[in-house]
Amino acid sequence: MGSRALLMLTNFKFKSSFASSSSKPFYLVKSSPTIRKLSTKTRSSLQPPDVRRLAETARISLAPNEVEEFAPKIRQVIDWFGQLQAVDLDSVEPAFRADTEGDNLREDVPETFENKEALIASVPSYKEPYIKVPKVLNKE
Amino acid sequence: MASTLFRTIQIHPFLLYPTAICRRRNGVLYCTMKSTQTQTATQEKQQPPKVKVSQHTQSKTPDKITRDYEAIIGIETHVQLSTLTKAFCSCPYNYGSQPNTSICPICMGLPGALPVLNSKVIEFAVKLGLALNCKLSLNSKFDRKQYFYPDLPKGYQISQFDIPIATGGYIDLDLPLEFGGGHRKFGITRVHMEEDAGKLLHSGNGDYSQVDLNRAGVPLLEIVSEPDMRTGIEAAEYAAELQRVVRYLGVSNGNMQEGSLRCDVNVSIRPVGQSEFGTKVEIKNLNSFSSINRAIDFEISRQALLHSQGHDDQIVQETRLWEEGAQKTVTMRKKEGLADYRYFPEPDLPEVILTQEYVDGIRNSLPELPEMKRRRYEKMGLSMQDVLFLANDVNVAEYFDATISRGADIKLAANWIMGDIAAYMKNEKLSINEIKLMPEELVELIASIKGGTISGKIGKEILFELLAKGGTVKGLIEEKDLVQIVDPVEIGKMVDKVLSENPKQLEQYRGGKTKLQGFFAGQVMKISKGKANPVLLNKILLEKLNAKS
Repeated sequence: MGSRALLMLTNFKFKSSFASSSSKPFYLVKSSPTIRKLSTKTRSSLQPPDVRRLAETARISLAPNEVEEFAPKIRQVIDWFGQLQAVDLDSVEPAFRADTEGDNLREDVPETFENKEALIASVPSYKEPYIKVPKVLNKE
Repeated sequence: MASTLFRTIQIHPFLLYPTAICRRRNGVLYCTMKSTQTQTATQEKQQPPKVKVSQHTQSKTPDKITRDYEAIIGIETHVQLSTLTKAFCSCPYNYGSQPNTSICPICMGLPGALPVLNSKVIEFAVKLGLALNCKLSLNSKFDRKQYFYPDLPKGYQISQFDIPIATGGYIDLDLPLEFGGGHRKFGITRVHMEEDAGKLLHSGNGDYSQVDLNRAGVPLLEIVSEPDMRTGIEAAEYAAELQRVVRYLGVSNGNMQEGSLRCDVNVSIRPVGQSEFGTKVEIKNLNSFSSINRAIDFEISRQALLHSQGHDDQIVQETRLWEEGAQKTVTMRKKEGLADYRYFPEPDLPEVILTQEYVDGIRNSLPELPEMKRRRYEKMGLSMQDVLFLANDVNVAEYFDATISRGADIKLAANWIMGDIAAYMKNEKLSINEIKLMPEELVELIASIKGGTISGKIGKEILFELLAKGGTVKGLIEEKDLVQIVDPVEIGKMVDKVLSENPKQLEQYRGGKTKLQGFFAGQVMKISKGKANPVLLNKILLEKLNAKS
């Protein structure tokens, strides 16, 4: 699935079951954070994304001809990143994140934002005191 | 999941028809009164749905069918933290504020706004993780859970996906006595930090909905249990214990009605002896512990019935809603396909790093948790019923502890708190922190009665005044001249007086109506203004009544 391909772009790999699970109450993260044993060695080529489905889930409207046009271009970008697959990671521990800075924390002290009127004014559809939205019954 | 304990406890048939016990609401008291009338009402409501029953199953009663199956129950709980500000911005959060008044560019998800983590959220997460006996991840991170919905301003929820802050814990609890009692230990798979969405209200005339973003960005802790529960009551008690723990820790007020404690339940069944799990059904819209209990029991019997009729393919993986009015679960509109949240690490937030010193500091500052309190109270010799009552509310437990630490008799202190004091609190709708009777005075009251200074009856009378107005026991005894009369000579005089004033009754007594002793005793009590020691009074009275004959 296209989403899985995008996930490959980050610097750690998911076990395939994670990527497609939604609400996941019963799985157990078996690996410890420091050394994660990754079973899948995806040296093989990355899967091409399902661009139409990807656009749907991202709520980006693409006409059918645009889907056809973009699919190979997106594929090219992914393959260009795919060069990273050539690196030997056997002796490298996966990092959680790309950066190395530590926490940036804030104290639990309330502060009201001064210009709330401007925030409300910028809402396109406001029916005091609520934000008016179309009726959507299903979560995605 | 394979690491969980597989209990082969079968469902007791009586649990299929749960009694409508007056469950603990979010208040202080634990009301253990049973109403048999409501019991039968619930039983009637719990009749199996009208389905065309085949010849085979017609002979089997609903509880017999359920006995062939084992239910596997897991619970996902969201706890709203009682921090002063939201998770990623400094907006205050107050339940019940005017809509859209606690907002800023960050929690509204406006372009360019960046989240900054509230340090209290980490502290509360570590507290809860430790209280649930979890292993803490010294390094964890946040992820984006992406989906579109009107109450989700950013189009994603900042959560923790594959590296939660705490994993692999357990919780101990004791089942209430009216459900058979017993100790249970349920596994906790994980605890992670995330933010809440806003509130979505559907208007009456169907074409639009309304959003209030006051709640958007409020910190939550999601607790996922192992699928260890087997009955509705175990699940309900698990939720109740989580409420107790978060209240004891002070991380949340754990109010199901206010939405600061939300539970979603997953139920599946499998024939006894089978190792594969059955199809899992999620149940939402549970607003109280008793709904959790009843919804699960309903769902178990619904699935068991279908299964026993060979229609187990009709049990599909879906989300159902519990309808409180109809007392049944119903299908939500079916979704097309599984949701794809496209998780990836939140780039705007750094790693969450905990040091061992930080964790140890918090561990050392943890209060005595409900489980530890219950075991300590048990060791003191209190009955299970007393233990469960006293440890249920952290404030009651503290009051009790304050009383016995000052030397009061344990059993007597427990009786006063659970009896007269609890009744007063219930009538006046007060919490134990609001009554005017201080623990020190309760100690004094108990000692005064035990030492014979005042009678038990007088004690009960002044209790009421102490609860309502405060004051000291010694002061009241002096002011109202309540010291018990234990001088036999003085009592003797009063008895003589009563006997001489009631010659008719005295003759009747001597003629055989021995029940009149009570009448005489009452009269003596009256002239002594209730101060005569009852035991001594009756002894002297009996002597005098029988002497003259």
